[in-house]
Amino acid sequence: MTTIHALPQRVRRTVGAGLLVALAYAGTALAGAYPPVTDARLAAAATDNGWLMFRRDYAGNSFAPFKQINTHNVMNLHLVWSYRSHLKQGYESTPIVNGQYLFITTPKDHLIALNAVTGKVLWKYVWPMPGVGFKTVCCDVVNRGVALYGNDVYMATLDNYVLALNATTGKVVWKRQLKPADVGYAMTLAPMILKGMVIVGESGGEYGARDFIQALNAKTGALLWRRWTTAAPGHLGGNTWPKGMYEHGGGSAWITGTYDPSTDTLFWGVGNPAPWLAKLRPGLNLFTDSLLALHPRSGKIKWYYQYTPHDTWDYDGVNTPVITTLRYRGTTYRAIVHADRNGWFYAINRLNGKLIYARPFTRATSVAGFKNGVPYTNNALRPAMNKQVFTCPSFLGGKNWWPISVDPLTHLAYVPTIHTCMTMKGAPTFYHPGLPYLGESFQVVHDPADRHWGALQAINIDTGRQVWNHESNLPWDAGAMSTAGGVVFSGSARGHLYAFDARTGRVLWRSAQLSSGVIAPPSTFMVNGKQYVAILAGWGGGTPIWGGKMVPVLKNIPRGGHLYVFALR
Amino acid sequence: MRTVRAVLVLSLSLAAWGIPRGQAGIPALYTLAQARSGHRAYEHKCAACHGKQEQGLVGPALRGPIFASPKANYKVRDIFLFLSVNMPAYAPGSLTPKQYVDIMSFLLRQNGFPPGKTALTDAMASTSAVPLLYHGRLQSPTRHARAGGGCGQRPSASRSGVHPPPPHCKRLVAVLPGASVHSSAD
Ligand code: HEC
Repeated sequence: MTTIHALPQRVRRTVGAGLLVALAYAGTALAGAYPPVTDARLAAAATDNGWLMFRRDYAGNSFAPFKQINTHNVMNLHLVWSYRSHLKQGYESTPIVNGQYLFITTPKDHLIALNAVTGKVLWKYVWPMPGVGFKTVCCDVVNRGVALYGNDVYMATLDNYVLALNATTGKVVWKRQLKPADVGYAMTLAPMILKGMVIVGESGGEYGARDFIQALNAKTGALLWRRWTTAAPGHLGGNTWPKGMYEHGGGSAWITGTYDPSTDTLFWGVGNPAPWLAKLRPGLNLFTDSLLALHPRSGKIKWYYQYTPHDTWDYDGVNTPVITTLRYRGTTYRAIVHADRNGWFYAINRLNGKLIYARPFTRATSVAGFKNGVPYTNNALRPAMNKQVFTCPSFLGGKNWWPISVDPLTHLAYVPTIHTCMTMKGAPTFYHPGLPYLGESFQVVHDPADRHWGALQAINIDTGRQVWNHESNLPWDAGAMSTAGGVVFSGSARGHLYAFDARTGRVLWRSAQLSSGVIAPPSTFMVNGKQYVAILAGWGGGTPIWGGKMVPVLKNIPRGGHLYVFALR
Repeated sequence: MRTVRAVLVLSLSLAAWGIPRGQAGIPALYTLAQARSGHRAYEHKCAACHGKQEQGLVGPALRGPIFASPKANYKVRDIFLFLSVNMPAYAPGSLTPKQYVDIMSFLLRQNGFPPGKTALTDAMASTSAVPLLYHGRLQSPTRHARAGGGCGQRPSASRSGVHPPPPHCKRLVAVLPGASVHSSAD
């Protein structure tokens, strides 16, 4: 095992004023020519040898066609190299790979380029944030990774910048701030590249920000369109808010969307309304907790589907909307599947936004059922100023952002899950820029019917029913990845990378214990005919902060980031 | 403890003047005993996320010119209402009213508000419109062994950048003859 501690022989300031730490040679000397990332390669990312975007392809399946590592030999995986990062906050980035270049981000927006085969650091860029208080970052100072286009690499930052850097040198090409820091907005997501645009979404649902999805010109950083996620009067959905409340209505867009080329539709999930206490804002509060189907050139809405109407439980609808095809009760559908914070697994017709089916994948009492394809809630479980309720799942969700993977061969969705409920009660609140805007007090507790905090489960996308389930004493907070080799990979809070049999859920292999717990998704790539699996360990994120009764059992998980790359012996 | 004595001297002399104000006209909103008790509660219930020196970690810094800035425009009541309802994050509202008031006292102290004779109460903290601004670092008698320093120390780095020495440091040292000066560990 090669732990890379060695860094820089040269340190200098870049044009962008960030701290760039680079080896004496350009990246190309250490990792070969950089293969430009074209629109054609992005369109075919599912079959690329690298891992070019957040969920591997525009459909968001996180399914790789590689078979070299498979159910018969996965137990022979061994560590090829690893890289350690000293920051103690959570690591949520997916290793993104192009040719021999591998990119990760760390907490507080450091970006590191490494040789994917040797682990040599090519360059390291530290985005400086002088004067930034990180006041309106709810759930750890995380970053979920980069996007690639042309010869550039893109990152969104906690102080609301979008940055383009040269992929081989780490030099800033352009930067653009969308909102000031510390007044409600922050960005944590991996950007998306589509048709020459870089598309990002803002967080801030806990602070009364009015959130949005933003498209910029990928070459220049020029602003192209902005899709506000709370509807203003006179616009579609504008009558679903009390006067003026959309202006501080939240609707964060903090997870990367997906794109369907067959209908030219951009899909993006929207988060919770603000303040949390729904009694303060009667109405459906569109487009919070909704799936948006957008025209990618304009950001205009084609249709929407609201997962949780008039939310009071913080059930963000941001989890990845995965594009797939399924067969339900004899009919084939071009569909979106999505495991929501509210505990329901949704299949939605991606041509028209109509519900195909919805089934709970963990205990779900707040959203009680569906009428004509529209969800309804149990109004007895809505908190008020002097009314405490007990409901499920907790605001952390049946699952949080940790992305699912959908395997087109097994027709299974692999779903990281937590088994939590919560108490929740109304509390005073007021809007002040930079302060939380909640109006509720709450605590996460155990699902009384399940003694495990977490699970990774497989759900048949043709039925919505569970096929296998791997229960875990600790919450399962990491993303999933499936491969044509019949193996599903995901990391545990205890710090093991797991390889499951995709069909049965049998554990085929488990890595030695990593130096910290895992909250990031894995990725896989091929270089010179050899398949690698990469995973970033580094416990943190929202669970150890807001996890209530879960927090004590998580207290001893060591902190610190560590990227591990495995291959067959 | 020399530091303790120095601050006692300071508060006694303020009491003698009969004005509930510290140096530079900064209101004295709490007592030293409250800040001390608040320091202990802070270490148990808040430090894991906000840092042992309130410098910020997964939660924001709760001390310094970026936290308590004119731009942020916090009143004491804004911060108190938030922390007493929603903190600590894993068990919001779980402390006693006294613990919250003591922690607020401690945070005032860490942001350079001087202690006084009158104790802070829940009602006062919930309604106080005093601007919560950073007034520099006081000698910190609530931190014994690792002593969070005061004037004369080098600028300290934290999650939210570098804390410059407060503007009125010279004056503060002058009113505290014999006070020991520590450097901070953060
Ligand atoms: C488990 C982690 C955690 C613990 C423990 C915790 N906090 Fe926090 N705190 C946070 C986070 C994260 C935020 C960011 C704002 C938000 O989303 O609520 C925050 C925000 C705050 C703020 C608002 C600061 C600002 O400038 O907006 C205050 C004040 C605060 N906490 C005080 C406390 C106090 C006092 C305690 C102890 C009683 C405490 N916190 C314990 C995580 C924590």
